[in-house]
Amino acid sequence: MARGGGNRSRLLLVILLVTALFFITLDLRGVSLTKGSRSVTQTILSPVQRTVSTIFSPVGRFFGDVKNFGKTNAELKQALATNKLLKSRLAEKSDTKGQLAQLKAVLDLAGRGNYKVAAARVIARGSASSFSQTITIDAGSSSGIRSDMTVISQNGLVGVVKSTTSSTSIVLLLSDPSFKVGVRIARSQSVGVLSGLGSTEYSLVLLDPSGTIKTGDNLLTNGSEGNRPFVPGVPVGVVVGVDNSAASLTQTATVNSYANLNDLGIVSVILSAPTSAPSRPLLPTPNPTVTVYVTPAPVPVLSPTPSASPTRKK
Amino acid sequence: MSPVRIIYTLSFFFTLFVVQESAVSLIHFPISGFSLYLAIAISLIAFEDHNGALVTGFLAGMVLDLSPSSNAPFGQWALILTSIAFLFAINRDSIADVTASPVTFVIVVAGGVTLALVSYLGFGALLGEQNGSLGHDATVLGGNLLWTIIFTPMFLPTLGRAHEYSLTARER
Repeated sequence: MARGGGNRSRLLLVILLVTALFFITLDLRGVSLTKGSRSVTQTILSPVQRTVSTIFSPVGRFFGDVKNFGKTNAELKQALATNKLLKSRLAEKSDTKGQLAQLKAVLDLAGRGNYKVAAARVIARGSASSFSQTITIDAGSSSGIRSDMTVISQNGLVGVVKSTTSSTSIVLLLSDPSFKVGVRIARSQSVGVLSGLGSTEYSLVLLDPSGTIKTGDNLLTNGSEGNRPFVPGVPVGVVVGVDNSAASLTQTATVNSYANLNDLGIVSVILSAPTSAPSRPLLPTPNPTVTVYVTPAPVPVLSPTPSASPTRKK
Repeated sequence: MSPVRIIYTLSFFFTLFVVQESAVSLIHFPISGFSLYLAIAISLIAFEDHNGALVTGFLAGMVLDLSPSSNAPFGQWALILTSIAFLFAINRDSIADVTASPVTFVIVVAGGVTLALVSYLGFGALLGEQNGSLGHDATVLGGNLLWTIIFTPMFLPTLGRAHEYSLTARER
């Protein structure tokens, strides 16, 4: 500093740092000016994100597909050779078909829970510059969506609405480290708190000291007052590992979520729900296993060829 | 830095921010995401002189603070990028001109991006933000470092020429 600049540079640095600290203080004190600026940005960004999402969707998954390239190389070459001309159209159709299947499944889940929902398409993901895990969906306050509403996919809980504009909403994902949801174990009805860890796994802490967790236990949302932010009975995940540390007062466990947060295309925001949990659990039904029975074909016996017309003894 | 260049820089960063939020964020990078915005911002900071670096860092941070998906308070990125710009400015004066060698420049930019993200995490921790487990954060940092090293050489020559073009005769 002493070498690089004089008093003017030093003054500039101080002014810039103080300005930044001033904005941080304003934000932490809840001044609406700073929050409003982000809302305006979201309003400006949403039409661009919507357009880019439509165009960019096949390109966006390129890097993900590269990882599996080795496995499907032979199949891919064959498919490219036969479908060269129809490739782009086919990709577009399969994308629509996939979204339709997700929409059908998520509406099916909402129907079983008697939820009134607003379906929406995922148009953007949270920036890599921030460590928060969010998605942007193409439905907002004009569709009846407000902040602190539950968001579900075809398999279960996805997250909660963080903020809205008239046409878009930002959803805080279940995997975000700041995300916490009250859950109950379907088997024992014990209540606990599930936290996001920033990865595909989640941490469950049981509130009841005498309660037990078992691997394979299904977790459902416990619900919040007035159904916001969480409606009761939404499937959350399954316990995959139990921490049996004797030192801890309550049991903890590792959980995998039902919803695949890396593959979200269509989600639903629950606008209203019955005050009580659904009478039938909404746990995802496993895909039916196709069992194929193979009956071995009779092995031909090698024996001397019998004569065409057996001789009769007279 | 002249007022006209401040407006140009601000417009450039906002356009870059829209590209980052709309397109780059949609790409599912293996390991972790890539912040094109941070890579270009750090590159521009490195190109600038002492005062220019400070103003560029502050403007880049202010635009990044507009991110609707961010949990951090408004102004956090401005503070971090201004501080990073200060570090760049004094080291440029005292050690050497990092823009002289492309390889050194890429390493310095990648280091700057990582330092910015580490500072973001550290400052966030001071403010009580929850940014995930150590392993997850390490993956994000490692991924960003890797992709910055890979992608920076691709845009560096164009960025260098564009920066040279944007300078006024006096600044040259």
